[in-house]
Amino acid sequence: MRLRHVTYSLLLALIVLAFAQTTFAQALDISSGGLPTITGAVGGSVTGSASVTNDLVVTINFGEVSPLNTNSIVKVVVPIALRSNQPYQVAVSMSGLNNANTQAVQASDVGFGLQNPRLLGGAGQVCNQSTHIIRTPFNNDPALTATIGSNGRVSYQSSLGSLSGSTIILSGPELSKNNSSKRQQSDGWIFDAVFTLTPQFFASGISSATLIFTISPGPNVPC
Amino acid sequence: MPRSKTLNLIFLITLLMFSAVTCLGQSTTGTVSMSATVSKFVEINSGGAVTLAGNSGGGVTTDGVANSPLAVSINLGELGPSNTNSFVTASVPLKLRSNAAYVLSMSATVTSSGASSSKIGAADVGFGLGTVSRTGVGVNAGADTNATSGDPTLAANGSVNGTTGRYEFTAVRSNLNAFSSSTTALSGPIIMNAVPRSNANGLTVPAMFAVKPQFFENGTTTISVTFTVTAP
Repeated sequence: MRLRHVTYSLLLALIVLAFAQTTFAQALDISSGGLPTITGAVGGSVTGSASVTNDLVVTINFGEVSPLNTNSIVKVVVPIALRSNQPYQVAVSMSGLNNANTQAVQASDVGFGLQNPRLLGGAGQVCNQSTHIIRTPFNNDPALTATIGSNGRVSYQSSLGSLSGSTIILSGPELSKNNSSKRQQSDGWIFDAVFTLTPQFFASGISSATLIFTISPGPNVPC
Repeated sequence: MPRSKTLNLIFLITLLMFSAVTCLGQSTTGTVSMSATVSKFVEINSGGAVTLAGNSGGGVTTDGVANSPLAVSINLGELGPSNTNSFVTASVPLKLRSNAAYVLSMSATVTSSGASSSKIGAADVGFGLGTVSRTGVGVNAGADTNATSGDPTLAANGSVNGTTGRYEFTAVRSNLNAFSSSTTALSGPIIMNAVPRSNANGLTVPAMFAVKPQFFENGTTTISVTFTVTAP
């Protein structure tokens, strides 16, 4: 008799826990938004999943960014799919790119912006009372906002140098119409994360960085 | 435990596992990893137009064009005593750019049609690098080492040999005989800061050549000079 109570109590706890996890998972989700692309690279590449139901795991190799690359800019576009049944925000944190030599590639040398918000299929939620807000200064295509500073170096409206700790780059109302517990092909929004690097007389070496995109409950705005 | 309850338990556990798998299909984080490579880069181009002076006849056949590949051709004209100028000189501006420490080397060949020791030889062609200039936006300040003796026409760099009467360029690396094989002429630290290649600035230095008109054996002479910049 006592064993039966323990068993049912345990099962009930597991069911509640599973239900809670399911609810959380369908509330906020970030995934691949499609195949990333790269242009202007010499010896570079980008890998990621073409499927919007796969996790966002992208590897960018800008390739050669010394003057040996005679292209004006190396540009990478990474589509990111977002799903939520509640207001959300997206933050980015970065590790790496800590070259001590100021003439080597720095965080400020990698342009970074968000562009091209669009529905991911028919189950993406269109809200009339709130809009999706790309936070300042990230609402730009860095390939188009690149300028040459007084020191001759290329700078951007926004770059990885604009990130400080976990930086919110995007927020808005709910993204999905349905409450499916599964990641689906057509139930959210897609944004393009755009990265650029202009070949320059950087000090020689290899630079690397890792960005973590995180979606979480955002400011409580109506849909 | 009765068999029916065991089956129910297995069924529920299966449901929970399925639910867990479903949960694993979603994520609140994504990762973008990136890398970039910067290789050592050096280049030499023309620093501008050639200046030819003291010549009798001759001229600049193919002139230098700033920021274009260096491919200059010069006719020094008459180098016998009928040219009464003290020197025939040619100044060829060079422009160097790099994202690393550099070494500028030079090799030269001198070929004359004459048959005697009075024909023009490599030692009769004076050479030196002039003042090095690192100016302009994006150019890194740095101290360069000029391995030549500078302007070959300077009195300190040459004189008439008291025994033979022939004019000689006597200073260190002051004539092309010192460059019969690839020899360092100039070296220094990084030239350019992190600026795009479209930035036209760089290190400029004139390569100065000089011949003293003398009673050379008559004939024609061809002088060929190759500059090479490397990032060791």
